[in-house]
Amino acid sequence: MFSSLKDKVGQVLLPGDEFSFQADDTISLSGPVKPEKMVCGPGLRRSGDRLLVCKSGVLRHKPPNMFWMDSQQRRYVPVKGETVIGIVTVKSGDVFKVDFGGSEQASLSYLAFEGATKRNRPNVQVGDLVFAQFLVANKDMEPELVCVDSVGRANGMGVFGSGGLLFTVSLGLVRRLLAPHSDVLQDLQQLFPCELVVGMNGRLWVKSSSLQRTLVIANLLQSCDTMTAPQRQTLFRRVAQGAL
Amino acid sequence: MGNVVQSEARGAVRFSSVEVCGNMAGLELLSDQGYRLDGRKATELRKVQARMGVFAQADGSAYLEQGNTKALAVVYGPHEMRGSRSRTRHDQAVINCQYSMATFSTAERKRRPHGDRKSTEMSLHLKQTFEAAVMTQLYPRSQIDIYVKILQSDGGNYSVCVNAATLAVIDAGIPMRDYVCACTVGFVDETPLADLCYAEESGGVSSLALALLPRGGQIALLQMDARLHQDHLETLIEAAMTACKGVSKVLDEVVRQHLQESSVLSGE
Amino acid sequence: MKDTPLSNCERDFLLKAIEEKKRLDGRQTYDYRKMKITFGTDFGCCFVDLGKTRVMAQVSSELVTPKESRPNEGIMFFNIELSPMASPAFEQGRQSELSVKLNRQLERCLRNSKCIDTESLCVVSGEKVWQIRVDVHMLNHDGNLMDAASIAAITALCHFRRPDVGIQGDEVTVFSPEERDPIPLSIYHMPISVSFAFFQQGTYLLVDPCEREERVMDGLLMIAMNKHREICSIQSSGGIMLLKEQVMRCSKIASIKVSEITELISKALENDKKARKAGERCGFAESMPQERITALKMDETPVEMTDVTEKANDIVHNADAPPQMVPSPVVPIPGVGQVGQGVQSTWGLEEDDEGEEEENDNSGEEQDEKVTRMEEEKLESREGDVVEISDSEEEEVVILNPEKVSKNTGYTSHHKGAAATQKRKRK
Repeated sequence: MFSSLKDKVGQVLLPGDEFSFQADDTISLSGPVKPEKMVCGPGLRRSGDRLLVCKSGVLRHKPPNMFWMDSQQRRYVPVKGETVIGIVTVKSGDVFKVDFGGSEQASLSYLAFEGATKRNRPNVQVGDLVFAQFLVANKDMEPELVCVDSVGRANGMGVFGSGGLLFTVSLGLVRRLLAPHSDVLQDLQQLFPCELVVGMNGRLWVKSSSLQRTLVIANLLQSCDTMTAPQRQTLFRRVAQGAL
Repeated sequence: MGNVVQSEARGAVRFSSVEVCGNMAGLELLSDQGYRLDGRKATELRKVQARMGVFAQADGSAYLEQGNTKALAVVYGPHEMRGSRSRTRHDQAVINCQYSMATFSTAERKRRPHGDRKSTEMSLHLKQTFEAAVMTQLYPRSQIDIYVKILQSDGGNYSVCVNAATLAVIDAGIPMRDYVCACTVGFVDETPLADLCYAEESGGVSSLALALLPRGGQIALLQMDARLHQDHLETLIEAAMTACKGVSKVLDEVVRQHLQESSVLSGE
Repeated sequence: MKDTPLSNCERDFLLKAIEEKKRLDGRQTYDYRKMKITFGTDFGCCFVDLGKTRVMAQVSSELVTPKESRPNEGIMFFNIELSPMASPAFEQGRQSELSVKLNRQLERCLRNSKCIDTESLCVVSGEKVWQIRVDVHMLNHDGNLMDAASIAAITALCHFRRPDVGIQGDEVTVFSPEERDPIPLSIYHMPISVSFAFFQQGTYLLVDPCEREERVMDGLLMIAMNKHREICSIQSSGGIMLLKEQVMRCSKIASIKVSEITELISKALENDKKARKAGERCGFAESMPQERITALKMDETPVEMTDVTEKANDIVHNADAPPQMVPSPVVPIPGVGQVGQGVQSTWGLEEDDEGEEEENDNSGEEQDEKVTRMEEEKLESREGDVVEISDSEEEEVVILNPEKVSKNTGYTSHHKGAAATQKRKRK
């Protein structure tokens, strides 16, 4: 099972592809049988004694035993703990409703900001952008966002966004941007300085020294989706030369 | 769709009768002496008569006659949002317009007073006109209803509706940037004709409807059908603006008179 | 489904950008987006791409009894369908405000301006006339639906051929295209709508607003004109207050745009005619392998596959082997029918290679075209009846050039066969 999965790592799999728990795993003559445990990420489901692929994409593996499908999805599905960029759509009583591009709007309590108390409410207007993380995200409950971490610090979250540009990219690109030592970000750093907020829901917010530069970066990032690494590097280099 | 066909049918009868005269069509609409079908001069408006505050129930109401076209306008609001709350705007009032034509307003009886494409479009245009003129930002999260009914249709329905609705809005005491006055103009023999009647409208004239805020000369709505060379556009708009200013004078008179009457009543 | 709300930050940014005379996609104020006109297999089927906005028009004809009031005139029927496919904001079934507005505007633009000779559609007076139906379907909404719809509708009408009929006594025979050549409609002039978006109480004005700009704008002015500089319809919408001077200015800009677009349409029609005469395959089926249908989607969502099995590579190599088709009879010149003031959409930086299509080098020697496609389909790629319009010289032109295909596949197989290939085209 494990080995057959590992063989396929990095390959394209399609929904309906399956792996079966092979019998030879259970017959072991030497020593006690250690049951194999593995963690299935998105796109993989267990069904009886089989493991089914239910999203098309590339199989990824993280040692020791995590597997998931890296699929190209456009609609964001909230996951607990992920940080997203949301747009405040309604202010009602003690909660704000926030659109984050998912199937339903999330609620954000006005107390869930750093330093907010019943007396001291945060200044949030309808249409503002918030960078927040999911406290509750499951299929049965309304998602809930908070702008504080577990110790009550803002930690970069909260209302933001004056002067920058918000745009959407694919979820895949967002994951690539947020990956440690992201090559895209490294290429971007060699251009002009900019502020970048990346939401896991595919929304990006960029601000640079001038409107011009902000637009350039936004367009560069949007085109990153469809480029291979060498193409991107040549493009970035060309922009850097042109701009400097 | 039934009534669309009807109204077109009616137009067609007129049109074919004009066509019989062939090239005379232009001459018929504007005689050599410079008179029109109903004896008006080219720039002359039809007689405008109006009354404000005709109903007790409504917040504002007005009745307006422009020649043979007669319209009734009623305004409710600003009030709480009714119906679908999703349309609520948190920064301004929503204007809701409904345009309808009485079943007896045209030569052939209308089966459906409102709801077809043409009247929906007319409602949209009215809404747009008043969104430009009414200071909606003063009443966030609320709604202003404007209902207009054409009692008799003899051309220039849109402009008559706008004029009547303006009076009704003023009667309701809703703040506006200025009066909105509307007028249709046609273009015959290189001459703009102000305030077209039905015969002229259906006679194949290129017509332009314009709603104007007369003081600033701002155009709240501009709509034109039929072909017209670009070079003539300016003259036509110019003529329409003059006509609208004429209408605004009449409306101004009506409002002043109405206010005088009501202040006399309340004063004594 | 609800549309994504517009955030304050986007609104502020857009308005500020407009003040600085910049647009999101690097266009100039009076530039149209890249426009592409393609035809389907049938007569009277036309696709129009305006940037990412995509519209399809189909014309059909039918013999009906005429209206009593006009016994010897054919009937024109227009319908714009806003399907939820184009945008999540569109609802199925219900006649929305937008749909009424667009439908009426198209009717006004094409029917009231009497651009089609309806009397020639009469077969037997009072009994049989042709009803011409124009169905416009919105496929993807990225702003300025009206212009795209009007271009698609008039082009489809020009492209359409109705069956020939013969009258013998009381009998009306409709001939199939094999028996007698179908007849084109007689069209007097071609009204084309041009939209202007106004911002900040009419202080700023943009041509061809995209979806985000449309959401920020105060109001819209649509002017339909033909190339003889006759205005066929004007409609302002959206609660703006215009001044007369602004209207006059818009009408002047519109006349320029209309003549450019008309030229493009006639070029597209001509190309299509030539291709059909030469017996080339054309139309929808043909456009599939050329990625004309799916190109839009693919541009944005590349199938990112870092590894591809050897099998796929094999297919690539096999696919390489068959000789390429003869070069197509029509080779559109890049930048043909250029819309815009002839200015480049530069981004204001010193170097001229910015913008959305930053892939291309503006030195003008090299134009990269990135098309994500499956290798198998390369076989078929050849140039058909596409006419491209780009609002500036340096923007890429999506022309799938047969000669380069073999080179490309080589290139791809270098990169362990990504589904995304890059095409290079020397200008």
